[in-house]
Amino acid sequence: MAEVSMSKEIYDSQARGKVFADTLKAFWDYRELIILLVKRDIAVRYKRSLLGLLWTLLNPLLTSLVLWFVFINIFSAKLPDGTQFAPYLLAGVLLVTFFIQGFNQAADSIALGSGILMKIYVPPQVFAFAGAVSNAVNFCFGLFALAFISLITGDGISLFFPATILVIFSMLMYVTGLGLLVSVAYVRYDDTRSIFAILISFMMYLSPIFYPKEILGETMLAVVNANPLTSFLDVFRYVFSNTGSASWADWAYMGGFSAFILIIGIRSFAKAWPRIVVMM
Amino acid sequence: MSSSPVIEVIDASVSYMIRHGASPTLKETAIQSLKRQSHDVEVKALQNLSFSLNPGEVLAIIGRNGAGKSTLLKMLARVLPPTKGRVIVRGNVSPMIELGAGFNGELNGIENIALYGTLLGRTPKQMRQRAADISAWAGLDESINLPLRTYSSGMVARLAFAIATDIVSDLILIDEVLSVGDAEFQEKSKLKMKELISSNSAAVLVTHDLKAVKEMAHKALWIDHGRAMKYGDVDSVVDAYLNA
Repeated sequence: MAEVSMSKEIYDSQARGKVFADTLKAFWDYRELIILLVKRDIAVRYKRSLLGLLWTLLNPLLTSLVLWFVFINIFSAKLPDGTQFAPYLLAGVLLVTFFIQGFNQAADSIALGSGILMKIYVPPQVFAFAGAVSNAVNFCFGLFALAFISLITGDGISLFFPATILVIFSMLMYVTGLGLLVSVAYVRYDDTRSIFAILISFMMYLSPIFYPKEILGETMLAVVNANPLTSFLDVFRYVFSNTGSASWADWAYMGGFSAFILIIGIRSFAKAWPRIVVMM
Repeated sequence: MSSSPVIEVIDASVSYMIRHGASPTLKETAIQSLKRQSHDVEVKALQNLSFSLNPGEVLAIIGRNGAGKSTLLKMLARVLPPTKGRVIVRGNVSPMIELGAGFNGELNGIENIALYGTLLGRTPKQMRQRAADISAWAGLDESINLPLRTYSSGMVARLAFAIATDIVSDLILIDEVLSVGDAEFQEKSKLKMKELISSNSAAVLVTHDLKAVKEMAHKALWIDHGRAMKYGDVDSVVDAYLNA
């Protein structure tokens, strides 16, 4: 008799668990749902488009192409020790696309999923994480294009390229954390979206996506280096095709800051959600 | 079987603050609070409710529109935590609240069975094994391979009902879903509900259909403005509600 009740899931509204550990456990417990949501995301995005999955590759390639035309003469000579501009640019565009779209999707997922979240119990954080994962998958498709461009321009691919997984992992923490942090504001206020869009584009321009850090003055260099996105870019370019340099400080900043944001995001979300959900 | 109740609601309340002169934007909220114009109003959606439900029992919740019936159901579905008091739910829950939330129009019936079932806590693998039976029960035939946007609303409701009732859960939450579809489907879904209840599931039924209440429920709770007006056996609660 006791065994029957032991195996049952018991919900107690007064039970207080460890917020951070419980959320990570939910990501694991709901992994099948996350996989389905990611698959649905990719299927729905491409089902009705002529180019299908190719679009994932084409979009960053075309963006990079435009930037390449505009900036090739200005920046390519400034790149350190013979780094090619095309792969430098594409690496930047791919990673920043992962950042911006991952953030947007994670932040929007709670508001968009409210139809489900108000009727079926699923930890809402799972939707934010699934949004981030689906952009990680897109990023991985993009790596094939980057590998191709790196090879034909002569930059090549580093032997350490599997370490890119650590960049992806950190970015997942970063965008999930940021997304959770602002998602409550998205649900509550209509105009927060545009405010955050501006902040995010600041972060984008204050990181070396299409310009080399070498062109920056001392003050701007300090600002750009303080941006965690810069460490992401440095580490990514270094591990993928051994261009530029990434110090241990970059690794530590990338991983540490992302973990910090994830903790803040999860904690503030758990605190704010019960107050938001009654008003939905 | 364990004899502990499936649901225990102990002095539970749900309340929230709304800002007078509702402001959906951050800008307006900031301006209002600077001008000190904002005065918050407390909305008491549910007040000091207490009841319990044992396995195999059906509780009907009745009351006028806006009485808090749906809020109560959301609280039992774990979606809405009580702001005061305590709610304990033992076992897995099948929420049948606005059937079809979570469906995706671009995906076909089979894919939606997997998605909806997984949202309800089952695995995609289990759902794929059950897909043929679910589709047959919902009477969808070949349509099961078409995108859901091509379905009629009746077909969507039938599919959702078939998925939600496919396994025996400890608690079923029903919000007006017995009134979807044509007469034939309504009969079929009532039979299915009775079958589930006889297999020891507990159920909470929210409906305006007092005939269905008398037919299916073992006890009833009448709420008004979030407060319990009467709680007890079906006939006396329904009579009190009708005479109010």
